[in-house]
Amino acid sequence: MRDKVVFHVNGKRVEFEGNPMTRLIDILRDDLGLTGVKEGCGEGECGACSIIKDGKLVTSCIIPVGAADGSEILTIEGIKDTPKGICITEAFRDGGAVQCGFCIPGMVMAAYALLEENHHPTEEDIRMAISGNICRCTGYDLIVSSVQLAAERGGELWQ
Amino acid sequence: MAVRNYIPETLEEALTLRMNEHAVPLAGGSDIMVQHRKGMGIAPDLDKPVMIISNLQELKGISRRDDGYIEIRALETPASIAASELVPWHVRQAASRMGAIALRNVATIGGNIGNASPKGDLPQPLILLDAEVVLVSLTSERRMLLDQFILGSKKTALADDEIIKSVLIPEKEFTHLFYRKIGTRRANAISKLSLSAAAVVRDGIIEDFRASSGAAGPKVIRSREAESLLTKRQISEIPEIADDFIAAWDRAISPHAMPVYRRNTTSRMLLHFLEALQDEERSGIIE
Repeated sequence: MRDKVVFHVNGKRVEFEGNPMTRLIDILRDDLGLTGVKEGCGEGECGACSIIKDGKLVTSCIIPVGAADGSEILTIEGIKDTPKGICITEAFRDGGAVQCGFCIPGMVMAAYALLEENHHPTEEDIRMAISGNICRCTGYDLIVSSVQLAAERGGELWQ
Repeated sequence: MAVRNYIPETLEEALTLRMNEHAVPLAGGSDIMVQHRKGMGIAPDLDKPVMIISNLQELKGISRRDDGYIEIRALETPASIAASELVPWHVRQAASRMGAIALRNVATIGGNIGNASPKGDLPQPLILLDAEVVLVSLTSERRMLLDQFILGSKKTALADDEIIKSVLIPEKEFTHLFYRKIGTRRANAISKLSLSAAAVVRDGIIEDFRASSGAAGPKVIRSREAESLLTKRQISEIPEIADDFIAAWDRAISPHAMPVYRRNTTSRMLLHFLEALQDEERSGIIE
């Protein structure tokens, strides 16, 4: 039986000994100060709390920390200063993808997960990849074209 | 917290907890964490202990068995099921349309079955294919048809010392296959209605016909009466059987919310499939 949970967040080891049903998002935001992880719906529907767990996009509001034992987690803070993270955030800025910004960290994580797997996404691939990330401002078109821009500009970065 | 929650490291530890404390298994969390959510900063809290079994390796894997079944262990996700070429087509279709990507990466087949929501996506094609569930406890292992395991809305035959270990799907080739999920949008949609159909037609004879409907009653519907009307008949006889066939299906659809919509939409899809069966030029996946 595990009496503590050990995992890595943005490369740093984290140990947690409390209730394993604690929501992962609460540990990321409240204990680790990673407030780029946003809480929208709290039901895994809106994508604002999207992170990457063991290479896969997940919503951190519906994951109990006990399920994160042994995992490698990436949040927006963990990618923002990397070449890939900079590529996406600059493309979002230059492409006018951002209005209020609340959904954007989740959108960036969804775009990152997509481009890691698919270096030359079609518009349909991009729309599918961000289909679990809800934005109430932009109407999505400039986000989609900005992800396309990140794929084009990044080039070999995504290979 | 009111009760203690656990992270077993082996299946045996999990089954011991299940026997001694009737701990609730949490596989992916996408149902339990939402159903019991308390809000920001507060851990979901059940009136029973929860055991988080997400990392149990014994419950992972998709394989072809040598007795004619495909085995999907309980912790496999819609993403891994949709991506596996071993998994039958109808089940992959349903898996690929569940929620959105992030949900498909955490939800599990065991959870989708155990939750037994009438709108659950995976039971519908699994019941079409006569899939079975394997249930284990510390002292026993048993198999039963999924159609019998799911008793009704949110009700299953799971004993309080058992957990779902895997799903067994008999391998079978069909000449005609059909799947539709109807929701309010393409992603993140809860099913309003879903339908799978499959048939084997050889030399103009319908050797096998089956259909299953989700979200149209307290559990997945299969009308054995409707199926028997078509089985072993010639495709040229379909026009004269069609009215009785649709009437049998109408009776099987629950008279709860929106029965007229569900009957009309189901009969349109079934008639579309029957039309394809009569056309000798058409086979395979019926769009």
